[in-house]
Amino acid sequence: MGKKSLENVTADLSALAAAMPTQRLAAPPPMAAPQSAQPELKVVRPAKKPAVEPLTQFSFSLRKSLRKELTRLASDADMTMQAFILNALKAKGLAVTDEDLLDRRKGWKPKAETDAG
Amino acid sequence: MSIITIATSKGGAGKTTLARLLVGLLSQCGYKVAAVDTDLNHTLTDWVNTLSKYPVTVEHELDETKLVPLVSKLHDGHDVVVIDTTGAASQATIFAIGCADLVLVPVQTSSADIVEAIKTMNLIESAGLMMKRGVPARVVLNAHQPNTNLSAHVEKELEKAKLPVMNTRLQRLVAWQEMSFTGIVPTTALAGVQGRNFIEEIEGLGGIPENKKLAS
Repeated sequence: MGKKSLENVTADLSALAAAMPTQRLAAPPPMAAPQSAQPELKVVRPAKKPAVEPLTQFSFSLRKSLRKELTRLASDADMTMQAFILNALKAKGLAVTDEDLLDRRKGWKPKAETDAG
Repeated sequence: MSIITIATSKGGAGKTTLARLLVGLLSQCGYKVAAVDTDLNHTLTDWVNTLSKYPVTVEHELDETKLVPLVSKLHDGHDVVVIDTTGAASQATIFAIGCADLVLVPVQTSSADIVEAIKTMNLIESAGLMMKRGVPARVVLNAHQPNTNLSAHVEKELEKAKLPVMNTRLQRLVAWQEMSFTGIVPTTALAGVQGRNFIEEIEGLGGIPENKKLAS
């Protein structure tokens, strides 16, 4: 097996890939402008605490077998059902934050790190 | 210089376990191995960097636009590049399939594993058609439980779906799970035999450079 060219992989598969969700993280913020050698002193003010958005309840009906499969898929992915669904919607463009994926159930304790492939 | 991609859209099927087994055994056998981890959980990257003692280059890359150039770069300096993908069909998975000389699709003994393996095999076939070259792919029976109705049923379903299955079955063994804590790939007892058979079969499938094949 000789040296393989991967040149055309992206071009050949871009149409197929376009139908799939991306894993790409949001672009990093632009770099700050370089500081002068003698930076002027500035008063540092504590940042304003962002207002906490209230939570709201959301429910929907689905077939029993779907619900069962959803439970199993979420369990296999080691996620709550809520996190599993939100994570899937995130791939479709919903603005889901890491905090949204936290387990909010009462008395829940994080379990030891699992290692599913 | 070959590229092996491990993919299935089912989470928890054993992709990272297979990746560990491959990079560990191939590295132990003297191959120059690189691993690319496109999984959000970066489990393989953590394993290589913190636990394993194998001289493996590992890169964690989620950005599909950077994946092919990265694999191409690693391909130049290594005998084998192993790509571990995330547990869902994604753009990175498509490009990882496109780079591969061989795609391995792990399947455990559950209905969802088979369903997702069929979807993944269809995806591989589509990628092959678009690139106008076949992408060899094999199902790997993982966490196999021999002599059970369950495993027999899984094999029957895979046969019905006409999916090509590797002869080597990786049984449900404690040794595979121990790898995640010890950083060492088992080479003795049943796990050792299965690991060896696994590598030899991959050699036969062209997943490992011919001029570097191991002496049996």
